Amino acid sequence: MLQHDVLIVGSGLAGMRAALEVSEDPSLDVAILSKVHPLRSHSGAAQGGIAASLGNSAEDSWDLHMFDTVKGGDFLVDQNAAELLAREGPENIFELEHMGCAFSRDEQGRVAQRRFGGHTAPRACYAADRTGHAVLTVLFEQLLRRGVKVYSEWYALDLVVRDRVCQGIVAYDILTGQIEAIAAKAVMFGTGGYGRAFRVTTNAFASTGDGVVMAYRSGVPLEDMEFVQFHPTGLQGSGILLSEAARGEGAHIVNSDGYRFMADYAAGRMELAPRDIVARAEQSEIEAGRGVTDLQDSVFMDLRPIGEERIRYALPSVLHLARDFAGIDPLVDPVPIQPTAHYSMGGIPCDINGQVRLKDQDDAPIVGFFAAGEASCVSVHGANRLGTNSLLEAVVFGRRSGRGILDVVKDLEPTSIDEGDMARAIGEVDKHLRADGPEKVGAIRAELRDTMMDKCGVFRTDEQLHEALADVKSYQERYERSSIDDHGQTFNTDLLDAVELGHMLEYAEVIVSGAIARQESRGGHARRDFPERDDDNWFKHTLAYREEDGPRLEYCAVNMEPQHREAFPLQERTY
Amino acid sequence: MAEQRFIIQRYDPDSAESYREEFSLDVQPGQTVLDCLNAIKWEQDGTLSFRMSCRHAICGSCAMKVNGSSMLACQTQVSEAVELGDPVEVAPMGNQTVIKDLVVDTTKFVAQFERAETWLEPHEDQEPPEREYRQTVEDFDHWSHASTCIHCGACYSDCTVAAVDEKFLGPAALAKAYRFVMDSRDSKREERLKFLAETEGGIWDCTRCYMCVQACPKDVLPMDAIMELRALSIEAGYTNNHGSRHHKGFASGVRKRGRLDEASLPIQSVGITRLLTLNIDAHKEMLGYTPGAIRLLKTRKLLEAAKRHGASQDGREHIQRIFEEVEAEKHHHDVDADAFAAEFETALGSG
Ligand SMILES: Cc1cc2nc3c(=O)[nH]c(=O)nc-3n(C[C@H](O)[C@H](O)[C@H](O)COP(=O)(O)OP(=O)(O)OC[C@H]3O[C@@H](n4cnc5c(N)ncnc54)[C@H](O)[C@@H]3O)c2cc1C
Ligand code: SF4
Ligand code: SF4
Ligand code: FES
Repeated sequence: MLQHDVLIVGSGLAGMRAALEVSEDPSLDVAILSKVHPLRSHSGAAQGGIAASLGNSAEDSWDLHMFDTVKGGDFLVDQNAAELLAREGPENIFELEHMGCAFSRDEQGRVAQRRFGGHTAPRACYAADRTGHAVLTVLFEQLLRRGVKVYSEWYALDLVVRDRVCQGIVAYDILTGQIEAIAAKAVMFGTGGYGRAFRVTTNAFASTGDGVVMAYRSGVPLEDMEFVQFHPTGLQGSGILLSEAARGEGAHIVNSDGYRFMADYAAGRMELAPRDIVARAEQSEIEAGRGVTDLQDSVFMDLRPIGEERIRYALPSVLHLARDFAGIDPLVDPVPIQPTAHYSMGGIPCDINGQVRLKDQDDAPIVGFFAAGEASCVSVHGANRLGTNSLLEAVVFGRRSGRGILDVVKDLEPTSIDEGDMARAIGEVDKHLRADGPEKVGAIRAELRDTMMDKCGVFRTDEQLHEALADVKSYQERYERSSIDDHGQTFNTDLLDAVELGHMLEYAEVIVSGAIARQESRGGHARRDFPERDDDNWFKHTLAYREEDGPRLEYCAVNMEPQHREAFPLQERTY
Repeated sequence: MAEQRFIIQRYDPDSAESYREEFSLDVQPGQTVLDCLNAIKWEQDGTLSFRMSCRHAICGSCAMKVNGSSMLACQTQVSEAVELGDPVEVAPMGNQTVIKDLVVDTTKFVAQFERAETWLEPHEDQEPPEREYRQTVEDFDHWSHASTCIHCGACYSDCTVAAVDEKFLGPAALAKAYRFVMDSRDSKREERLKFLAETEGGIWDCTRCYMCVQACPKDVLPMDAIMELRALSIEAGYTNNHGSRHHKGFASGVRKRGRLDEASLPIQSVGITRLLTLNIDAHKEMLGYTPGAIRLLKTRKLLEAAKRHGASQDGREHIQRIFEEVEAEKHHHDVDADAFAAEFETALGSG
């Protein structure tokens, strides 16, 4: 059994920021574990920016940032958390800047800021259009400088919780195929989102909701899983993201008539309206037969109004992505785009210090278990995340979790993991290595992704959701009869594909169940059969607890108690 | 839809067996090499192993050799790969030990960053400002391209020195070191320059072969960074080592020309110029590799032409003249690479 004081699982912005914070105390032994090398984490793909009300480019304040966040999230936002996000934003950005982050600069040499959808002030700090990469890189560099131990290419299979006390994890060394127990007094999950269950997605192959499912299996409920954000500017077909910065810089979105249809959906903000609104507008145009390309499954984004010089300077990746992955030159032609699954609002419920909580009557904590970033649900994004708020969330709440751990870890008892705790993980790996069933993992996964996209996507109905649920259950059964080709010990990615599909099948059921129950439209959850927001009945968070025959749904209140101001009262969300 | 053949270099760690295996599959227009590897893995042979995650050229996982050159599989269109060779040959990166199939052991590559201490060392003697440090746009633009490295290892895989010298810090770590040397927030500029100039496997071991710049999928321009580091270290007085003696002639050249001029040249013309104005024979071996990025296909054609003509003194002089003309031209306007290529090929009589 390996042992550390603190183990951080996941090395995106949330995980690395937390690890850096914990490493402030040299007497603690902290390690970080990730299924991909830290620099390969999904956070690196974030392009457009990281929000904070620095006010470098125009007057701004944390109040305004908080308000935009609450409104953007369709008020399903815990206001104590949104307040912290907005208030602690600037100091977190300055800290990253002091660490050497390659932020783009304005004329005065300050961190440059630009506009982003749903924000009323230009508050997106950026590094050209590779912001996530710039922050991820600098965090990793500083971790190296501190000499923090990294388990790179280790796959966490199980979280071990005994009597509501976290003991550590069971992990699989991808290089050797060995399964090891790693005990820790405190474990933090920064394992990222769950977008891979959808056919069209911006998410990396690694975003398979592993952490969310590990927590769920160990008795933690999952919060607001039905809220998935669809981004309006996915490259047609692959779903690869063209940064929202393109819209921020002034790109137009038009239908087959060449008409800027956002005038009909959000006249005040046009293309800069929040993503869920733009994505639904696109989907409506497509369904009304005003789509472009042969497939008529997309609309056009036209970058040309921005001007060549500015495109080259501010949006180099958009230029390259369109060229490399669609063979289109945005300087010459408009680019076909479609809604693409982008961000997972739901996740592991935790408080503002990252402490995971059951959110039942006594709101009991899982002692020593923390979460931050996209895997968690604190919930700053509510029903819909504003662009550039999630990198900030990962940093702000990664740091807060690190501090939360520092606050308690000295008082925690050493933990241990025995053979019994490892049995499930060992059994799972063994089962896949021995299985000889007729079903192929790849085929089941492809069908699952179709189901989630087509029946639980941008728009949802009761009928389609029930079909989706039946589909998912049938895939779960077929999964039991699946087998893999690779039976080796070394770098067996075939095995990991199978494990990940198991996770996807588990959380897909939670997404669909939550979506069936929630008979309203709010943020990322849009019901054709219940098109209005229903605050009387649905102003509450969903909590899914794992039971033998599927998730049991409960609900809990939205926090309306910020510390430094009044809560923003519910109002209609129009732009 | 068209059937496409792939030949994949495989290695089975259990039997320690290496072999080449052919697969064929239907390829849609617009598909990348990574799409095809995934299709092979998911539909034909699940034992095939490779790294990948983001699928859009930002996580740096999927560097491998496609038809002999290191590149990102996710960023390479099959239609372009085919232009370099059909069937498409896929092999693991070079200069690193293979673990399984297309997966290599990156320990050595990663360790170089630690050896070069490529992280910001803040000024210890002064408190950081309350807000951000100020940095001019100009300052930032000067080095920010070097911060775009995604640590994919493609440059290292194709580096001619890394192939023979384990100690060489390699293009990526050196480019990253450059980024910190140039960053006004860093406090260790002098120490860095001294280390990079004097350590074994430092900046003086680079042979200026330019493979790293060609292989790099981002805008890092590692060799340019190394050249700038040389000039800076000479300026700072760190010339007293065995490496720099071999490079005295070159170093004074850098001084005369001025490093900024060098660094700011358009990439194509710089690449071609540097390659061909150097000793062509010395690069014959290197020409066995093809350039890392398809967009440099033209460069490769030129190189092959140069190789053919490189054997004769006449041909070499001819090439030299063309490049001198181009060199003279490029100060007036950006060289049009296509026109340049056409002119060059006509001059060589190779069509
Ligand atoms: C294309 C794209 C662009 C984006 N652009 C922006 C933007 O401009 N601004 C913004 O604010 N947000 C943006 N986002 C969202 C943002 O990038 C993410 O929400 C954020 O990076 C999540 O960070 P994280 O640290 O929570 O998780 P991630 O960065 O996803 O990291 C997850 C980590 O967990 C590890 N992990 C997962 N499962 C396991 C396991 N079983 N065992 C071991 N390790 C595991 C992974 O290896 C990884 O290290 C974008 C997202 C995408 C997809
Ligand atoms: S130019 Fe130098 S660093 Fe780059 S590949 Fe050649 S020898 Fe290696
Ligand atoms: S310098 Fe370029 S090729 Fe080398 S590791 Fe960095 S991104 Fe890859
Ligand atoms: S898969 Fe990320 S760089 Fe290719």
